[in-house]
Amino acid sequence: MIRPIMDFVKRFDAELRLDENFIVKKRNKCFLLNEKLKNFVRGSFFYAGIYLGEIRNGSFFPSISLLKMIAERAANKIVVDRKTEWLFICGRDIFRQGIIKVNGSKRKGDFTLVLNIHGECLGFGEITRNLDEKGSGVYVKNILDIGDFLRREKRNS
Amino acid sequence: MAPSFYEEKADLKLMSNKEFFLRRYAELGWEFRDINPRQAIRINSMNANEEEVIDRLKSLGVALEKISFLKNAYWACESKFSLGSTTEYLLGLYSIQEAAAQIPATLFSDLKNKIVLDACAAPGGKTVQLADLMGNTGAIVALDVKRERLAALSNQLERCSVKNTVVYCLDTRKVSQLKIKFDRILLDVPCSGNFATDEEWFSRRTIRDVERNAALQREILAEAVKVLKDNGEIVYATCSLEPEENEFNIDWAVRNLNLKTEKISCYGEKAPTKIFGKQLDSSVENCRRIWPSQTQGFFVCKLRRESA
Repeated sequence: MIRPIMDFVKRFDAELRLDENFIVKKRNKCFLLNEKLKNFVRGSFFYAGIYLGEIRNGSFFPSISLLKMIAERAANKIVVDRKTEWLFICGRDIFRQGIIKVNGSKRKGDFTLVLNIHGECLGFGEITRNLDEKGSGVYVKNILDIGDFLRREKRNS
Repeated sequence: MAPSFYEEKADLKLMSNKEFFLRRYAELGWEFRDINPRQAIRINSMNANEEEVIDRLKSLGVALEKISFLKNAYWACESKFSLGSTTEYLLGLYSIQEAAAQIPATLFSDLKNKIVLDACAAPGGKTVQLADLMGNTGAIVALDVKRERLAALSNQLERCSVKNTVVYCLDTRKVSQLKIKFDRILLDVPCSGNFATDEEWFSRRTIRDVERNAALQREILAEAVKVLKDNGEIVYATCSLEPEENEFNIDWAVRNLNLKTEKISCYGEKAPTKIFGKQLDSSVENCRRIWPSQTQGFFVCKLRRESA
């Protein structure tokens, strides 16, 4: 289970050390435990510790928690302005003029975390045009954002 | 002679209308009046600095007022948008949590590194609050019997970066199956609710619902005691105003489950010890009854298991 997670993390040019002994799987979802919590996890659990993500159609899809963990390290990141922050958490893609700062890769096809001006992780996307290229249109395609918490609530209600 | 079916039906009608319940509240010393429960938020201090969050919300045009009887909590007086859709909310910097519902978790002593059971946890507001009070240390075992409610609970845990919780779809009356002993147990038990949060309450609820819930609550209390460590603490809470679900159950627990009530210092009135002509154990007065006003109606009690 750890391999697809690590492969995903690498797409941000980041490194994250996870101890496989503390990762548990429930159906297609995986969770990271700590030493104490491990003592209280029985086979029938529904959710435990930090939700890392799940396997969807054979590929790993991250949780917001995993993105926050990656954001604490050196990784591909862009910082966006307030208006872009709002549009992004509403599920929209990112235009060049909304990007204030770029850390790490500017290369088309790479993944990048999206942070607000407070350095808080809002989600991630795929760079669809080299970020040092001048022009207009979408530069980062939204893949997952924190607005998903609301969308999930609506789906479940 | 037992009452006939029709007599019983007629009795039930008399014992299930607004007048009937208001008369009971009057006997308990509360006169019905218009109430105005206010929206409240709680800052998740494990994720954020309180002042910074307040400044950020104020800059968005949200008017807040500190709640005098709680820590990290504010009345939301005015906001042009839903407080459940801001970036700050989605980042887990604060939770929307009714003010009276914030009281139970604060009654435990010394939560850091403890093993805590949140027995009827969904949708998870109090679970997140417990994790916050514990600073994400120790372990919380959160249960709920309804699988469809666990998605909302899990969503809350992830949004608020809770790391110390394991969730089970399990009826609390079977918690001993997990073979875990707990230092602290939060029993925010299923209850009949109250009219402050449900406009149809008086027309939907009957005294039979109250009795049925009271019986279920006793079963939950009895099972909780089985998994509580010696000297461990239980906080029992309901959002019901009916004594059968509150003072009567605590009186029963004190007499039958080797539990003692503890004095608590929180918002609310001392619980009465003589109700509808029945004299209860004097220690029941340590409980707090919260009549609806700015908050919804609530009842809280802290119990400690006596050492064997």
